[in-house]
Amino acid sequence: MNTQPSSAGPAVVFRDVVKVYNGRVTALDHASFEIARGETVALLGPNGAGKSTAIDTMLGLRTPASGEVRVLGLAPSAAASAGKIGGMVQTGGLPEGAKVSELIGLFRQLYRGKRSQADLLRLAGLTEIADRRVEQLSGGQTQRVRFALALAGRPELLFLDEPTAALDVEARRAFWQSVRAIAEQGTTVLFATHYLEEADANATRIIVVSHGRVLADGTPADIKAYTSVRTIRFTMPEPDPSVLLKLPGVMDVAANGEVVTVRSGDSDATLPALYALGRPVRGLEVGGGGLEEALLALTSDDDSNHPSIKAG
Amino acid sequence: MIAFLRFEIVRTLRNVRFIVMLIAFPVLLYLIYGKQHGVSQGLTVASLLLVSMAVWSGMGSAMFASGPQLARERQNGWMRQLRVSPISTRGWFAAKLVQAILLIIPGLVVLVALALTYGHVHMAAGRLGLLVGVLILGAVPFCAAGLVIGLMFDGQTAQVAQMITLLVLAFLGGIFIQWNSLPHAMQLIGKVLPSYHLAQLGWNAAAGRGIGLEHVAVLAAWTVGLGLIAARLWRSESSAA
Repeated sequence: MNTQPSSAGPAVVFRDVVKVYNGRVTALDHASFEIARGETVALLGPNGAGKSTAIDTMLGLRTPASGEVRVLGLAPSAAASAGKIGGMVQTGGLPEGAKVSELIGLFRQLYRGKRSQADLLRLAGLTEIADRRVEQLSGGQTQRVRFALALAGRPELLFLDEPTAALDVEARRAFWQSVRAIAEQGTTVLFATHYLEEADANATRIIVVSHGRVLADGTPADIKAYTSVRTIRFTMPEPDPSVLLKLPGVMDVAANGEVVTVRSGDSDATLPALYALGRPVRGLEVGGGGLEEALLALTSDDDSNHPSIKAG
Repeated sequence: MIAFLRFEIVRTLRNVRFIVMLIAFPVLLYLIYGKQHGVSQGLTVASLLLVSMAVWSGMGSAMFASGPQLARERQNGWMRQLRVSPISTRGWFAAKLVQAILLIIPGLVVLVALALTYGHVHMAAGRLGLLVGVLILGAVPFCAAGLVIGLMFDGQTAQVAQMITLLVLAFLGGIFIQWNSLPHAMQLIGKVLPSYHLAQLGWNAAAGRGIGLEHVAVLAAWTVGLGLIAARLWRSESSAA
């Protein structure tokens, strides 16, 4: 088989995709992005942002109303039939009456045994519970079984929709360790999450989605830089808000007795200017700048028809 | 497809209670009524009832092979997980069909064994073979009906829809009560149903008459019709919700 055409090109092309449910709810609103091979990308956004719809569309489980979706150069359903993609869908229950080992065995056969049973059990941390029936599994164990199923075909492209929702801290760490190992073997990974730290820690690139649109797209640092809003807290005797408001970068000022809270879009400029006032500044703290603030900032003003930002 | 079929059979066989329950009711009815004397439609009660109960058991098994379970597994997301894998639509349908056919066999075997011993039915091997063949192949439209119900309804609703469908098929098809004794309007409805035609086929085969090609044609039409509906439901699943 000639694999040349499919191993060139991007892993995912998602162009101007629209998906409307029941003629009313717009889940995807002209969303566009492209994912290169070998990337580990997080789709980050609040619940109902359209992340799952986007992933289902790339897996061939849903058909968009308009727009172009190509996966490994193929139509999504063709990529799935060819066994080139693996996916952990969000509400992926398991079939009654089956054992863990049988399920994994089934998926290995469907994907023509591209990864050994032992490998899969180990990668998903299931070796000890291989003989259990799926009805006896906890939520976290079920999720790990679904992870094993997604890996069974040694996919070129792996989709994970909120993969750690039911996992405890320890299982979560083991999970991401496995994902990193798989990514290092060359698999492209796209995962959806609303755990901000998870996107920051595990993705090389973050696509922020809200109301079915792509709001920002860049490295975690890019995303954070875009909304470089910092919260600066300090105490100062008799603070004068009108003076503080004129400092470079300052967006707003709140003074409560001697305690002052300033929000600044450029703290590097604000801080020297603050000290240059020559007044005693004590207990200074700079907060924010995390992905959480970035996400909040990005998704809170997108009702005002915010233009998309392309960072990086 | 073979791997999937084996997987489905293994997990069904593990549910022994389910299989026993599928068989228990028709067997019980046969034990109660199978010893009655009399002749109807050129058959002894024991033979007649063998066919009725085998049709009832076959319809139930064929429909329960997918029906409510498929509905539950669409709801819990297993079907979505499965559709991401390289399994083909054709392979899935074929496996489900074979699985349903296989699920008919235990009930049929038990009922035939009961008829031959407890019911003192005497039937030439050739005739019995034809009857068994008719009852198995004739169940194919009901396999398709189970798929349609499983793809159309959600878990709880599918259970109810399935029971109602089965009872309507059994009563109007003349399996529980003689079709002749139904009110006229119901006879007309009954005469369209696949259960009526499968029972007729079975009785004809058991009596050694010509089986009646019109019955075969109606069952084939139901199979095609329900199969097309199931295929359509399967496809629309991805674009709709």
